[in-house]
This record gives sequence, C-alpha cells and structure tokens, in this order.
Amino acid sequence: MRGWWERHRTMTLIGGGTVAALLVAVLLGTGARTSAAHDPDNPDGTGARAVARVLADQGVDVEVVRSAAELEDTEVGADTTVLVTSPDDLGRSTARRLLAHADAATVVVADPGPGAVAALGVEAEGIGSVPDAPRGAACTDGGLDALRGLAVDVDRATAWPTTAGCFGGPDGWWLASADEGLLLLGAAGILENDQVLRADNATAALRLLGQDRRLVWYVPDLADLGADDGVSLRSLLPPWLLPAVWLGGIVMVAVAWWRGRRLGPLAVEPLPVTVRALETTHARGRLYRDAADRAHAVRALRRHTRVTAAAHLRLPEQDTDALLRDVARAVGRPADEVAALLADSAPPPRTDDELIHLARSLAELDREVRAT
Amino acid sequence: MTLTGRVPLLLLVGLVPVVLRPSMGTVWTWVLLVGLVTALDWLLAPRPSALEVVRRPPGTVRTGTPATSRLTVTSTVRRTVRAVVRDAWQPTAGATGNRHRVVLRPGARTVLTTPLLPRRRGDLLALGVTVRLPGPLGLACRQATLDVPGTVRSLPAFESRKHLPSRLARLRDLDGRAAVRIRGQGTEFDSLREYVRGDDVRSIDWRASARSRSVVVRTWQPERDRRVVLVLDTSRVAAGRVGDVPRLDSAMDAALLLAALAARAGDRVDFLAGDRTVRSRLRAAGARDVAARLQEAMADLEPVIAEADWSGLAGEITRLGRQRALVVLLTPLEPAAVREGLLPVLPTLVRHHRVVVASVKDPALGALVDARGSLAETYAAAAAAEVVHERERAARVLRTLGVDVLDTDAERLPPALADHYLDLKARGLL
Repeated sequence: MRGWWERHRTMTLIGGGTVAALLVAVLLGTGARTSAAHDPDNPDGTGARAVARVLADQGVDVEVVRSAAELEDTEVGADTTVLVTSPDDLGRSTARRLLAHADAATVVVADPGPGAVAALGVEAEGIGSVPDAPRGAACTDGGLDALRGLAVDVDRATAWPTTAGCFGGPDGWWLASADEGLLLLGAAGILENDQVLRADNATAALRLLGQDRRLVWYVPDLADLGADDGVSLRSLLPPWLLPAVWLGGIVMVAVAWWRGRRLGPLAVEPLPVTVRALETTHARGRLYRDAADRAHAVRALRRHTRVTAAAHLRLPEQDTDALLRDVARAVGRPADEVAALLADSAPPPRTDDELIHLARSLAELDREVRAT
Repeated sequence: MTLTGRVPLLLLVGLVPVVLRPSMGTVWTWVLLVGLVTALDWLLAPRPSALEVVRRPPGTVRTGTPATSRLTVTSTVRRTVRAVVRDAWQPTAGATGNRHRVVLRPGARTVLTTPLLPRRRGDLLALGVTVRLPGPLGLACRQATLDVPGTVRSLPAFESRKHLPSRLARLRDLDGRAAVRIRGQGTEFDSLREYVRGDDVRSIDWRASARSRSVVVRTWQPERDRRVVLVLDTSRVAAGRVGDVPRLDSAMDAALLLAALAARAGDRVDFLAGDRTVRSRLRAAGARDVAARLQEAMADLEPVIAEADWSGLAGEITRLGRQRALVVLLTPLEPAAVREGLLPVLPTLVRHHRVVVASVKDPALGALVDARGSLAETYAAAAAAEVVHERERAARVLRTLGVDVLDTDAERLPPALADHYLDLKARGLL
C-alpha cells in the first residue's frame, strides 16, 4: 500500500484535486444564475437582480418567464407590464407572439439591437452614444408622467427618433414610445446592478416597471425561433453573396479541373531489385540470437580473433596452444587469461551479458595484437 | 479535354452579372454560357494528328554524361498550330526542361531538344510524347500522348579509367626492358641494341658483340597476342549491393579496365557474361576501341535471381578457343555458390588456362565483425566472423587448385586486377 502511494502520489493528488475542484464548482454553481445582461437572476454588475428583488419587495407581482410558450401560459392583462430583456434573441415569430399576447399590456423592451427593433415591427434607427452627463426626463408621452422630474445617468445609451418618449435629446428618446403600449428602453443601464444607484436611475426603473400590479419579465429563448424567422444572418447579408459563393464553388471546381489534368501520364521507372549484400549475414545473426546459441557465436568470434592474430603475427593457426602462447607473449598478458579468452576449450558464456563482455574483450585483444 | 486557367477566370468574371442581378439563375446562365464557349473552343482546337512527331535516336552515352533527345515536329494542317509538347522519359534518364511551347505555321517544322543526363546503366526508355493543343480562344485543349518510341543506351560509367594511364605507363616500362632478371618463358626476344650504362651486364649478347664493334645487349618485350577471357557472373550473387552499387557494376568496372589495358598490350580480349545462359558475348580480337565495344555489350546486363550454371559457362569458355588464356572470373566469393557451382568445373579450366577469380568484398562486413555494442550486434558480429571465415576458406580452396584470388573493395578491385595482369605479364605467365 505504501509502495503504491509512493508510486502514484502525483497522479492521485492531481486526480483528487480535479475532483474537488469539480465538486466545488458544481455546488457553488447550483441555483438560478445566469450571466445574461439585465437578467433578473444575474447578480453581476450587468445583471438586474437588484431591481427585480426591490420590485418584488415593493409589492409588484414579478413573474419571470423564459420562453414563448411560458409567456403565452401567463395571463397578461391591462394591469400588467411586460419587460423584455435580451431582446436580441427575439425572432420575427417570437416578437409576433409577444405582441399578440401582450396586446393589452405595456411592453418595455430593454436595449434592443437593430434586428430586434425590426422584428418588433418598429421602423426607427437607434443612435448609440456614450453620454457623459445625466439626462432629464422631458417626457412627451402621456402615459409616462410618473417619470417627470427624474434624471438618469448611464454608461451607454441608445436613442430612437420616434414621435414620443422620455429622456429626449437631440438624437432622440432614450425611452422611446414606438407604438401603442410598446416602449424601447435605450438607457437600459438603469436596470443594471452597478448603475442602478446613480442619479435617479432606481426611481426611474421602479416607476417605469412598477406602474402596474404585475410585471412579467420575459427573457426570450433562441430555441423558440422558427425556421421562417427573418432575423438570420442571411437577411443581413447582401443578396448577391449566396449566388457569388456558389459561383466561387464552381470556379474552384474549374480550377481543380485545370490544375488536376496532367500533361501526359506519370513517368515510371522500372525499378531494380535491391538486394543488400550483407542481408544474409544479418539474417544469420538474428537466427543465432533467436536460438540464443551463445556457444556457437563465441566459437566463431574466437576463431576470427585467432585467425587474425595468427595472420598478423605470421604464425600457423592450426597449432592453437603455440598460438595462444605467442599471442600472450606479444600482448604481454598472462597465458591463462589469453587462453580463457581465445581457447575453444574455455567455457562458453552462460548469459547474454557475459557474451557481450567476452566479445568486447576479444575485440580489445584483437586491437592489442594489431598494435604490436 | 483539358481546361486552361482562362476558364476559372472567365467564370469569375461572372461575379459582375451576379452582383448586378443577384439570383441563382444568373449563376447557372453564366456557367452554361462559359461551358458552351469552352466546348466550342474544344471543338475548334486542332486534333493531335495535326502534328507529326518523329524522334531522332539519341544514341549511346556513358552513364553520367549528357545526351540530347531530339524530336522533329511537323505541322500537317493549313493553319497555325500552337501546342505544348512534353517529351517524357523514365526518371533516371534525367530529362530536364522537357516541356516545349511550339508555334508552327502551316507546313512548318521545328526540332525540340531535351537534355538528358542518364543516371542508370542500361537502355532507358522514352515514355511517349504528350501534345496539348489549345483552341482558338485558349479555353480548352485537346490532349493526347503519342507513342514515339526511343531509347538512350547508357553505358557503364567506366569510373576506373582514371587508373588506365598509370597502368599503361607500367606496361611501357615492361616493353623494351633490357634486363633478363625476370625473363620467363613468355618473354619474347625483341631486338639487339648497343649497350648503355645501366643495362644489366647479364643481358649482353656476347656472340653478337663479337661480330660488331661495340657491346650489344638483347632486349625483350613482353609477350603479345595472348588471350584474355573476361567472364562476368550475372547470377543472383551479383545483384547484392555494396554501398549503393550492385556488385555487377563494380565487376564491370574492373573488366573494362583490364580489357582496355590488355588491348593496348596487344592481347586479344574475349568477353562472356552469363548466369544460367550466356547473356552477352564479345570477341574483340585486338580492336583498339575494345573498351567502347565492351561497354556496349555490357550496357543492358542486369543480374537475374538465379544460380549461375558454371559448367555451361566453362563450356562456352572452351568454345571461345583452345589456346591457353588468362580467364578472369568476375564473381563474388560467395562460399555456397563457389562450393556448389564453381568448384567442380575449376580443375578442368585450370588445366587449360590461367584462372583468376576477382571478387568484390563488402567493407561493411569488416565493420560488422568489429561492432560489439549490443547483443544483436554481437550475434551479427559472430555471423559476420563466420562468413569471413567461410570466404577465406573458399579462397584457400581456390588457391590450392591453382587459381589466383583477388578479393578487395569495389574501388580497389579494378586497379588490383590490372596490377595482377601486369604482374603475370612481366613474369611471362600468360
């Protein structure tokens, strides 16, 4: 057990750490929490949980719905305000369903992009700005009298030049009345957790959303979009692009045809058989090794060393005893040692290590003999 | 049908109508239009038969020396023909720049030259001439590969010819030598000349000196008009590669040097190459250009994976002439092949001729014996030691039969064989 721990300590620690980190993440991550801007469950700086909680505390019946079907299941009457956040997820079909269902209610759309504005059927172009001063109410819309005298201060705002609205300026209204019961909130910063305390932001938000007894907080879901929704990438692109892409594909086919046709067949070479002269020798070596015939190998190596020594010292190789004696004298080693190396009668190596050692000693002796 | 780069460009121009009238209909209309124009262009393109291609044989070169492939292209139609002509050769023929642009007026002809640099011995093949003929708009081309056969014969490189001048100098030294010290039965009396200081006094012809006023010595010239028979083994053992060169090519090198030398020395050179059958045979009786003719005879020899039939080859040697000859067997000293094939026929050969066995040794074998690093290397060293031993034993057996054995590296074999020949000549042993 101890040995196992020693061996696997690092891996165990890494694995354990990963599991612990996952556990903590899962435990902390539970609960309704999202990172979408102006979401009633988002406690971050761009979220709107503060406004949602305060509205609920003030006695407004806040109901959060997160899909078109859920919205349609909710009763939306004349005493209801519908706030739409993340409106860029609205498609033409969901916008239509929203407007049809919330016909009687006041619909406030927070910070809609051009696509959402078009989906809602409003023909107005928003002008974005980064205001450096608060803007006073200056309302012209009769229904928004509650906002009179307030000033809002946001980081980023969009103004629509519609006929009526609140918080007007030269570029249009930050809270634009686009249609009967449809308000576009360009200064959506008043809902955000970290901007809500500036100027009269909180008051404006509470008065705008708390006019009625009920507030339905609708966060549209992209999954509700139908296939015929016009707010797709395609509607934003120039109309010639798709045919041009097709034409480009056809051009690529033509290029492939042009480049792919060779000027005549490949030039082939009748290749000769390549036989390495040493191939049989290598094969024989592998055979000895597979058979682990150490005795035979060592006999061949000894004989080779004897023959080269005999040739070098100009001695007859047949007379092994005399040769061993002369070799020992020539290299200045004890006769026994040379005999143990060279004589066929010496015991063959018992292990592979001994074989390699003996082979190296023979090579060494070979070098010594040649050096004389 | 082949397209040119203009077709995709023309299709791309279709972006203009597509932008002006964006719809898929525009795209398909444009593609159809381009397709029709391209098809029309293809129909109007000249047919490949508009060109008549004739090859001039590039002839014969030594491996590694440049050659030229020439094609004569003639227009047979009554309009100007533009074409791209590719003269394809097998890769080792080393054809570079083999694509030619041709513009031919009616009835005109032009010669296209493609440089070749053969890298391999043997007959290297031309693989056909591809012509591509664009239509009048240059959108589509007709293309066809015409079969215009041709070969360039690439002769053995004869690398060892660098050794020839020094060996010829040694041969001249043998000529007209006054000394009798090494006079053998094969040396021939040449002439008498006046004694000069430095001549061996034993070579003074006293009888002739008595008749003249000065001292006269006899001079000798090395024997002439002997026969040299070169036998090249093209069997499986010659296919083995030493380094990157087949043993056969190294043996050819040695044979060429010896043949050139022997021809200059006034001997007759016969050549025989074979394995189970005779592959090539040359009787070059005293020709000056024996090396060139020998190269020609060797050019297309390739080793075959078969055992040599030495008794058949020995019969062929005998058929070349009964006069005593120097028979050089260029065969690797492969113990098994020597024992079973060569050994039985050698006694008869040795009785009639002087036999030399010239073998290419692999220097890697020596390195293999000395490598004792790992277990695998040790066993390989043992196997190599065994092979070395068997080769030596085979060489010893051959020597006891009276055969001279030369077993050296590929580079050293040609000069060693030439030196051995000169040695035999000097000693009058041919």
